[in-house]
Amino acid sequence: MRKILKYGAAVALPGLLLFSCGERDAAPTSEVVAARVSHVTEDPTDAAWKNVPAFRADLILQDLVEPRLLVPSTASVEVRAMTDGSWIAFRLAWSDSTADDLPGSARFSDACAVQFPAATGPDLPAPQMGEADRAVEIAYWRASWQASVNGRPDEIRSLYPNAHPDHYPFEATSLAPGSEVAREAELRYAPARALENPMEGPRERAVEDLVADGPGTLRSAAEKRATGSGVRTEIGWAVVIARPAPAGFADRGRGTIAFAVWDGARDETGSRKMRTGWVSLVLRETP
Amino acid sequence: MARVRNWQIGREMSYWYPESRPKKQFAAVFDINKCIACQTCTLACKTTWTSGKGQEYMLWNNVESKPYGFYPLAWDVRLLEALGRQTWEGRTYAGRTIFEAAPAGERALGWRPDDLDYASPNVGEDDCAGMIENGADLSVPHAAWFYYLARICNHCTYPACLASCPRGSIYKRPEDGIVLVDQSRCRGYRECVKACPYKKVFYNPMTGTSEKCIACFPKIETGEQPQCFVSCIGKIRMAGWISAPEAAREENPIDYLVHMRRIALPLFPQLGLESNVYYIPPVHVPLPFLEQMFGPGAGAAVETYRAAASDSDLAGLLCLFGSSPRVMPRWKRSGSFVLGLDEDGREIVRVPLREPVHVRAAFDAARGVARTNVP
Repeated sequence: MRKILKYGAAVALPGLLLFSCGERDAAPTSEVVAARVSHVTEDPTDAAWKNVPAFRADLILQDLVEPRLLVPSTASVEVRAMTDGSWIAFRLAWSDSTADDLPGSARFSDACAVQFPAATGPDLPAPQMGEADRAVEIAYWRASWQASVNGRPDEIRSLYPNAHPDHYPFEATSLAPGSEVAREAELRYAPARALENPMEGPRERAVEDLVADGPGTLRSAAEKRATGSGVRTEIGWAVVIARPAPAGFADRGRGTIAFAVWDGARDETGSRKMRTGWVSLVLRETP
Repeated sequence: MARVRNWQIGREMSYWYPESRPKKQFAAVFDINKCIACQTCTLACKTTWTSGKGQEYMLWNNVESKPYGFYPLAWDVRLLEALGRQTWEGRTYAGRTIFEAAPAGERALGWRPDDLDYASPNVGEDDCAGMIENGADLSVPHAAWFYYLARICNHCTYPACLASCPRGSIYKRPEDGIVLVDQSRCRGYRECVKACPYKKVFYNPMTGTSEKCIACFPKIETGEQPQCFVSCIGKIRMAGWISAPEAAREENPIDYLVHMRRIALPLFPQLGLESNVYYIPPVHVPLPFLEQMFGPGAGAAVETYRAAASDSDLAGLLCLFGSSPRVMPRWKRSGSFVLGLDEDGREIVRVPLREPVHVRAAFDAARGVARTNVP
C-alpha cells in the first residue's frame, strides 16, 4: 500500500515544512484557495508555493461510466493555487511510487487534470466531463509529454533502449535526411501525426487544452492556452497547470473546479481514473 | 446493451450498440489448406502500411502456425480460458459471447497483451521436429499436426474494438463495412486493444494512438483486392462482399462459399463478433480443435471440401482465388471454365477448371538443345 502523506497547513505555516515534511496532520482548507500574487509560476519547485495554502482533494473512483475504474488507487491530491487576476496556476502533488512516463503497448502514463465549467453560473454541469449544452474546460498534463518536453528524443530507442530496427523506408540512402520528401514519407506511416493528433512524440507543452460536453466527447480546445510542468518528488509527482483564470473569477472571487489523477502503473487511462466532484475555488487577497 | 441478431451463433445477443448493418460488407475467404506460410502477405502489408517508427512489431497481417503459434502470444487461448468452457446446441451457441461475459465496469471480456507478447512472431512455433534424422523434437500428447492460420482484421459486424472505445473513435463504414480507427480522434486509451479478441488493433507508442488493418480501403474503393490478397502466391484468398444469410445470392462467390455451401467458416464465432473473414478449415486436423476454432460447421465443411474435386461448381470457384487483382462480386461457371464477373456481369477473368497439360520432349531437335525445366 502506498503511504498517503498529508502536508502541513500552508496558511498557518507559510514558508515552513511544506515541501519536506509530510507526516504532519494539518487542518486542510475546505476549498481550494487561490492566493493573489503579482505573477503566477509554472515551476512546481518554486518557493512561492510555500506561501500558498494547501487543500487536500480526496479522490473517488470513476465508476459511473464504462469503462470504469473499480479498484481505488490514488487517494488524494494536494492542491495549491495562485492567481494574478488574469492567469491561475494550480500545483497538484500526489503520492505515486513509480514514475510512469514511457509509452508502450501495456504501459500507461501518469497524468493529472483540472476541470472548470465552461460557463459561469449556479447551474453546474455534471462533474463527469460535463453534459450536453453545458461544457467543461479541461487542462490535462501527462508524464510522457513532460519527458518529451524535457528532451527525451523522439526515437524508438527512447522507449526500447535495445531496439535495433534494420530499416525505415523514409531513411533510405536515396532520400536526403530531413528533406521534404523524407518527412512526407515518414508521415505516411504515422497517420496520427499527419493529422496533427500527436498523442505522443515531440511536444512543446506538457499540458493540453480540452473541452468536453459529456463522457466520450473530449476534444481539443480551439485555443492552446494552458501550460505547466511536472517534476518527480520524493513521494510522487508535483505538477503545475496554469491557464487563464475562468471568466469573472477575479471579480466574483469564487469559482468551481474538479481534479483527476491517473496512475499509469495501474493501467489507468481515459475514463479509468480517480477524480473529484466539483470543489469550491475562492480567491484570497494576500494582505 | 442492445439486442442484435448474430447469424453465426444462431441467435440474438447483447451488444453495446443497436444492429446497424452496412450497405455492403467487406468479407474474405481464406483457404487454409493452400497456405504455405511464405509470409508474402505479411510483408506486402508491412511494406505498404506499417514500416514506420513505433510499428516495428506491428503486423496487421500475420500468419501463425496452429496449434502452438500465436501473434501476439497466446492471443486466443488466453481469452478462451477466461471465457471458460461453453457449449453449442446444434448450430445455436448456448454459451456466452465476450459481450455477454463482460466483467463489471467493462464493455467486453478481454485482456491487453504486454509488449513482449508481440516480440517473437513465429519464433519456435513450428519446431515440432528437429533434423529429420533425429526424429521428433517435441513430444505432445496428441498426434502431430499443424496448419498455418493467416489473419487480418475481421472487419466484424459487431466489432469489440468499436464497442469498447469510450470516445467513439472507431467506426464501421456504412458503404463497405470496413472498420477503421479515426487517427484524428484516437487518444490511445487501448480499450480496443484489450477488447478485440483477435488482437488486431495495435498501439503505436510513437504516435500514441492505436492502429489497425484498413482492408486497403483505397484499393477496395477502386475495385481492387487488398495487398495481402493480391500478393498471395498460394492463391488462398478471395475478397468480396457478403450478404446476410436471408439475402444470400448464389452468383456472389462469398455468399456461395459461406451461406450456400457452408465451406468457409468464421474464426471463433462463439465470441460473438460476427467476423467477416471466413476460413476453409484444414482437412487434416482433429475435429474438436476445428470446432473450437471455427464452430459446429467444421466437420461438414471439411467433408464438402474433400468432395470438391468431383464438384465442378465448387472446384471452379476455388480456382478463381488469386486469379485477378480485382474484386469479383459475381461469378459463374461455363462448361470447363469459371468466370469472375463485375457487378454488371462483365467478365473480369476466365479460368479453366483444369489447366491444360503440355508434355514436351526433353530434347528440342529443331534447335539442337536440351530443354531445361523452366516455363
